[in-house]
Amino acid sequence: MSTESAETEHEQEYESRVGAMHAFSRLLEDTSAKISLVAITIISAMALFAFVDAKLLDYQLAEMFLYHPLRAESGARPLLPPVGLSNQFGDGVLAHPLGTDTRGRDIAVRILYGSRIAIQIALVSTTIGVAVGTAVGAVSGYYGGWIDDVLMRFVEILYSIPFLVLVIAFMAAFGRNLTYAMIGVSIISVPIFARLIRSEVLSIREETYVEAAQAAGVKDRNILLRHVIPNSFAPVVVQTTLQMGTNILIVAGLSFLGFGAQPPTPSWGQMLSIARNYMLPAPWFSVWPGLAILVTVMAFNILGDGLRDILDPRLND
Amino acid sequence: MSHLRYSVKRLLQAIPVLLGITSITFFLINAMPGSPVEVMLGPTATEEMITEASARYGFDQPLYVRYYKYILAVLGGDLGQSIHYGVPVTEKILERLPVTILLLVSSFTFAISVAIPLGIVSARRRNQPIDHGSRVVSLIGVSTPNFWIGLLLIIVFGYHLQVLPSNGLVMPFTPISEVGGADSRLDVLVETGRSLIMPTIALGTLQMAAISRIERSSMLEVLGRDYISLARAFGVKESVITRKHAFRNAQLPVVTIIGLQLTSALGGAVLTETVFNINGMGRLIIQAIRTQDYALIMGTTLFFGFMFVVGTLLTDLTYAYLDPRVTYEGEQ
Repeated sequence: MSTESAETEHEQEYESRVGAMHAFSRLLEDTSAKISLVAITIISAMALFAFVDAKLLDYQLAEMFLYHPLRAESGARPLLPPVGLSNQFGDGVLAHPLGTDTRGRDIAVRILYGSRIAIQIALVSTTIGVAVGTAVGAVSGYYGGWIDDVLMRFVEILYSIPFLVLVIAFMAAFGRNLTYAMIGVSIISVPIFARLIRSEVLSIREETYVEAAQAAGVKDRNILLRHVIPNSFAPVVVQTTLQMGTNILIVAGLSFLGFGAQPPTPSWGQMLSIARNYMLPAPWFSVWPGLAILVTVMAFNILGDGLRDILDPRLND
Repeated sequence: MSHLRYSVKRLLQAIPVLLGITSITFFLINAMPGSPVEVMLGPTATEEMITEASARYGFDQPLYVRYYKYILAVLGGDLGQSIHYGVPVTEKILERLPVTILLLVSSFTFAISVAIPLGIVSARRRNQPIDHGSRVVSLIGVSTPNFWIGLLLIIVFGYHLQVLPSNGLVMPFTPISEVGGADSRLDVLVETGRSLIMPTIALGTLQMAAISRIERSSMLEVLGRDYISLARAFGVKESVITRKHAFRNAQLPVVTIIGLQLTSALGGAVLTETVFNINGMGRLIIQAIRTQDYALIMGTTLFFGFMFVVGTLLTDLTYAYLDPRVTYEGEQ
């Protein structure tokens, strides 16, 4: 029996690898998905650069090649417009292509370093949300009964508090910093994945191969981990991609309200909350960080849509 | 099961959810650093003053006693006293609630009335320019932070063109004398409309985009069904098919999405009210957190949850009305 199950496992693994490769090659046939993939790669590379420079090199790279994102140069002029435009503070210069902020710091560099926060949020909080949500949803759907009732009621409660309010209340209780923002956003991603996985599991539970595994005496834990969860993963991959975009939006909103990354660390939402006070003299200052959020979130949404077209045949009309 | 019995059942199911929301907020708030009494009395308070005030407000009791008392008070409709404003929390909420409801109703009306025609046209002219155009619009809509839309609208229409007010929201029942330049009720209403335009667009765009995406795919699915092909074979006009045969059946997923959009809209209201300096529930909750006004934080959060529960209930009932096949016998 053991050789048999090893064989089916091997076969399954083989098939899923072929499936993933196949899906990826089909994704590359879709022009908009391809562009979004390139965009996400570029933004992630920017974020990685910013992360390495900020955390390991103490902004040495920034000072060597660009400007310091946290401090203004001596003699820097605040609120300069982008290159080619002029306002009451002066003419835009090529050295600061997107202009400067209220303290004379280069906006382009701050947007580059702000990408770190966005990508970090997208990766960390979504991953935690998927992991916990998958566990809760799988257990709930597989066992049913009172376990299902209790878990789903809890998920419903989490879902009923508007997520921004829930995260803000959470951060008010534990502290205003990025770590708590990420934990807060993970918590609100949990119900979404728990519900999704549960509904998948409910239908997979009835499949013949699960019955066969049960009859063969495979442990519940192993059935869940090896058969049920892997088979319900297509919609999860799609939802994860879309959720990354949503989580970036939520954290941008939190930072805008002053509950995200704390100054002087640049984040896009927080840059907008500063820019908000200078909309009349320096409207451009409000444009760039928002554009950065829009492009990033849109890339994740396009990729998610592309993945859905490929992975979820039910939605292929 | 009749709709009435179903509604009653749904209302009863909402009770544990509301109790859960109350508990979560209660314990979160009590995990906050510092005691409410210290916040209330300020940094100059002496030990005796703190002990005395703690005893007076019942903060010296153990947590579970306070929890029990709070739940009892909430059941009786008492959400406590706002420390910052010095008035009952319910009074403050009732003062701010109409503003947020007006904003939400207005933005959902905008979202639905734009999204449904857009989705239908998109589905009927599939893969034609108008379809591509509307898909790009909805993609941008779901990817844009609503507070940023607000900022851009203020820059263009508030500051640059100076055609719309960018600060605050005039309520329709505001006394005429308090609205600048208004001589009659009609002027006040016009001012309400003008001050609503930008917040509505800022808050409603995300909903509009999400709804139109669902409307399109749902219409496409229904239009591909056999009975539609049959109707076409009988020579029924395309406009009649859309209106009489496809539309109603395609609205079920749309209704679900509208219900789900409510949480994001409530969260969005916090941001929109901040951008436009509108004194509604959203700003109240932020102010409550900034001033560490415990009772007010709990009351507003609970109320937001309550609004969501009512919203989902309305969605479910609409669902039952739209789909005669839906029966609730033995349903969860």
